[in-house]
Amino acid sequence: MKIAVLMKDVPDLVEELEVEDGALPLDDMSFVPSEWDDQALEEALLMKEEADVEVTAVAIDTGDVDNMLFTALAKGADRAVKLVGDFSRTLPNRLRARLFAQYCQAQAIDVVLTGVQAIDDLDGQIAGLVAGLTGRAHASVVRDVHIEGSQVTCVQEYSGGKMAEMQLAVPAVLGIQAARKPPRYVTIAKVRQIQKSATLEEVEAEAGTAPLVTVRRIYKPEAAGHAEMWGDDVDAVAESIVRLLEDKKLLRS
Amino acid sequence: MLRTLLMALTVAMVVAAGALFARRVAAIVGVMRTARPTLRTDRVGERIQSVVEHVLLHRRMFRITLSGVLHYFIFSGFVVLLIDIVETVGEVFVPGFTVGRILAPLVDIWVILVAIGILLALYNRLIIRPARFQGSDEKDAFLILGLIGAIIVGIVIHDSFFPFVAREVLHVPDPVAHAHFLGWGLSRLWVALGWTGPGAASVGYAFGYLLDMGVVLAFLAYLPYSKHLHIFAAVPNIFIRNLGPKGALLAKPVEESMAIRTFQDLSWKDISDLYTCTECGRCQAVCPAHAAGQPLSPKMVILELRDALNERIARGTAFSAEEPPLAGGVISKEELWACTTCGACQEACPVFIEHVPKIAGMRAALLEEGDIDPNAQKVLVAWDRQGNSFGQPARKRPVWAKNIDVPIKDARKEPVDWLWFVGDFAALDPRVQRLTQLIARLLHHAGVDFGILYESEANAGNEALRIGEYGLFEALALKNIEALNKAQYRRIFTTDPHSLNALKNEYRKFGFEAEVLHYTEAFLELIDQGQLSVSSVPVRATYHDPCYLGRWNGIVEAPRQLMQRLGVDLVEMPRHGAQSFCCGAGGGRIWMDETGITDRPANQRIREAMRLSNVHFFVVACPKDVSMFNASVTAMGVEEEMRVVDMAELLAVAVGLESAEETLLVSS
Ligand code: SF4
Ligand code: SF4
Repeated sequence: MKIAVLMKDVPDLVEELEVEDGALPLDDMSFVPSEWDDQALEEALLMKEEADVEVTAVAIDTGDVDNMLFTALAKGADRAVKLVGDFSRTLPNRLRARLFAQYCQAQAIDVVLTGVQAIDDLDGQIAGLVAGLTGRAHASVVRDVHIEGSQVTCVQEYSGGKMAEMQLAVPAVLGIQAARKPPRYVTIAKVRQIQKSATLEEVEAEAGTAPLVTVRRIYKPEAAGHAEMWGDDVDAVAESIVRLLEDKKLLRS
Repeated sequence: MLRTLLMALTVAMVVAAGALFARRVAAIVGVMRTARPTLRTDRVGERIQSVVEHVLLHRRMFRITLSGVLHYFIFSGFVVLLIDIVETVGEVFVPGFTVGRILAPLVDIWVILVAIGILLALYNRLIIRPARFQGSDEKDAFLILGLIGAIIVGIVIHDSFFPFVAREVLHVPDPVAHAHFLGWGLSRLWVALGWTGPGAASVGYAFGYLLDMGVVLAFLAYLPYSKHLHIFAAVPNIFIRNLGPKGALLAKPVEESMAIRTFQDLSWKDISDLYTCTECGRCQAVCPAHAAGQPLSPKMVILELRDALNERIARGTAFSAEEPPLAGGVISKEELWACTTCGACQEACPVFIEHVPKIAGMRAALLEEGDIDPNAQKVLVAWDRQGNSFGQPARKRPVWAKNIDVPIKDARKEPVDWLWFVGDFAALDPRVQRLTQLIARLLHHAGVDFGILYESEANAGNEALRIGEYGLFEALALKNIEALNKAQYRRIFTTDPHSLNALKNEYRKFGFEAEVLHYTEAFLELIDQGQLSVSSVPVRATYHDPCYLGRWNGIVEAPRQLMQRLGVDLVEMPRHGAQSFCCGAGGGRIWMDETGITDRPANQRIREAMRLSNVHFFVVACPKDVSMFNASVTAMGVEEEMRVVDMAELLAVAVGLESAEETLLVSS
């Protein structure tokens, strides 16, 4: 069975976002793998440990994705594929999804995993879009994925602590919320070694067109209200908390 | 007849014991030959000197007086035993042989000393029962004591019968009969019993001879299967000890991987270590992880490895890849991740066993399997991406230098006299930044021309290496070296002992050899050169030696002299200097889960300080200590009784930058 993990890199939010002329200076920012995609990769690798599957990490060449793909190989992915073409950092998800969808169809991928979301999803999430374009079964915000014959099972969690176990016929697309275990660590040396010994497969791709949204401006929100500082006198702060709770009728006497 | 019989028996026993001994040693040497190389035969003069110091003079052994003395008796007995063996075998093989009247009584004197040694050892093991023996093979210890007892009894018995055998059976003179005063004394009993004829004397002599030589040879055959192989292994193992620099975990850059999975991944010195361990447990007794209730004992790490290797040698699978891995198999991952790499074990070991490189290598193997504490993993990722453990953008590193009233030069842009390598905690921990700024003000006050690398400085990589992430360490080191090479400076100093260790010891393998000082050394120099005048800060305080300053780098005097210049009344804790007790933060532990810790090492250390009479200040010289020990006094609710003070605060008061009241440097 073939599993593809669709991955992308996103701005590293450790850095404070600066806004220049109503836009983000993407060229000056550092990029890291989207944390949900990392979770999806980990889930795929865990599935590989319990079933006979081939895991391929797929990313679109929107900049520097090589390291992310080599890291996926070092972690245990069987193949790493870079979809190459003329793509910019701001490639919208509608177009990304088309590229991924073409690849998954062409390669007859059975189960597609990807992060349920990414911090720069402006026009929808990849999982749903790819599922729509490829006409495959789809579930999102899921975890605990297992393969059972020609089905995949996974779990969705609802508020109030209720869970649903679901089943989808392959081919299927899943938006992963979290892997069963935290994503594994891979040593720098191992990634370097893979960089020397393995190559990334490059697949030419063309995005075509899709209805898009454009960002008009990025700006800081105007503050709606101001925080009131209570200082550091323990007694006074305690009194203020009690008063606040009383005001909001949260204290029963 | 008696002679022929004894000669035949002796030859047979020598051959059998020698064969058993040789077979065993050959198996061990066979494993050593396939192990990783390490250079341990250079600097012969220093090596001989260290053998003299630690074998002949028992320097480390005497740190525990009773054990040192009893061991010295027994150990020296083995040397004197050689005289007895020569004499005993000589008497039988060469009629009329004698060692002379001077050497002969030495044997008797040492029989008494060894007997005392055995009694003291029994007292130690049966009555005192130090906790450090927990986990050691006590049966083996008693067996060996019994064998040694048998040998000395045998010596006295054959000496006591020899005068009669010499006269009645061998017809040779026995000029040393009186010189063996113990044997002579016992022979009076045989005279009284009338056992002096050829028959009785021959039987008595043969019994004594076999008790002596038979047990000596049985010993020889048994030794390599027991911890007492150290009788032979200790001398070479001390000879091939690591001559330093102590703080360098790895002497050379790693080509492939530092991971230790199999016995072949250990160095040949590591293999030698396994067979040299005396099971004395001195390492266990000083281990902070063990004291904290964690599953780690450095002694057990060595013994578990040795036992596993023995089993594999016996099964013929010492070189097989089928056997469970050492990391996570023979040694559990809980043991491996509990180590703070404080080095107390190595410092305590009388036979110079190196625990930390083995532990770090096995950690590397775990790490390569992706097995690491999730928090520590975040830190590794942060070091890789941002260059600091706080996951803060690199730009934030010099923020502490922005909002203070003294100018701090950018050493990347202009030459400076002193380059300050600040370190993660000093730069980014909000609790420590105030102290970092204080040091900047002190330097400014002293008129020092200094600068920092601003955002070009990254974590030094000391802990990354000790977590087992060599590639990350190397990347960080090369990044720092590149920045340092671009800067112009005369010397480097750092506030952080962990950075100091990396810069001073670990960067050498990449060709970086600049002089690196700790700030306590730097300020001592400033005071002594008259660049900084200080007034007295008359407080009574104790000082905690950071592991990476005192133990790994031997910097124990500078901080003490500095305190002396400041007029501080220093009261030492029982464990100080190279024998200091770790705060529990090192080796990446500061970021790892504390489950299983029943008594935090830092709390134990604060309690140790609180037992000193009338001491209310706990002086530290390491940014990690500031946060570790402050957390402890807060958690223990003893802020009033014990205040954690950084050396910088003492200095600030001494030069008048801050008042004693401001820094709370007044006894409550
Ligand atoms: S280095 Fe320290 S923590 Fe690690 S085993 Fe040795 S004594 Fe214990
Ligand atoms: S490693 Fe050294 S200190 Fe520890 S038990 Fe063995 S000989 Fe003693």
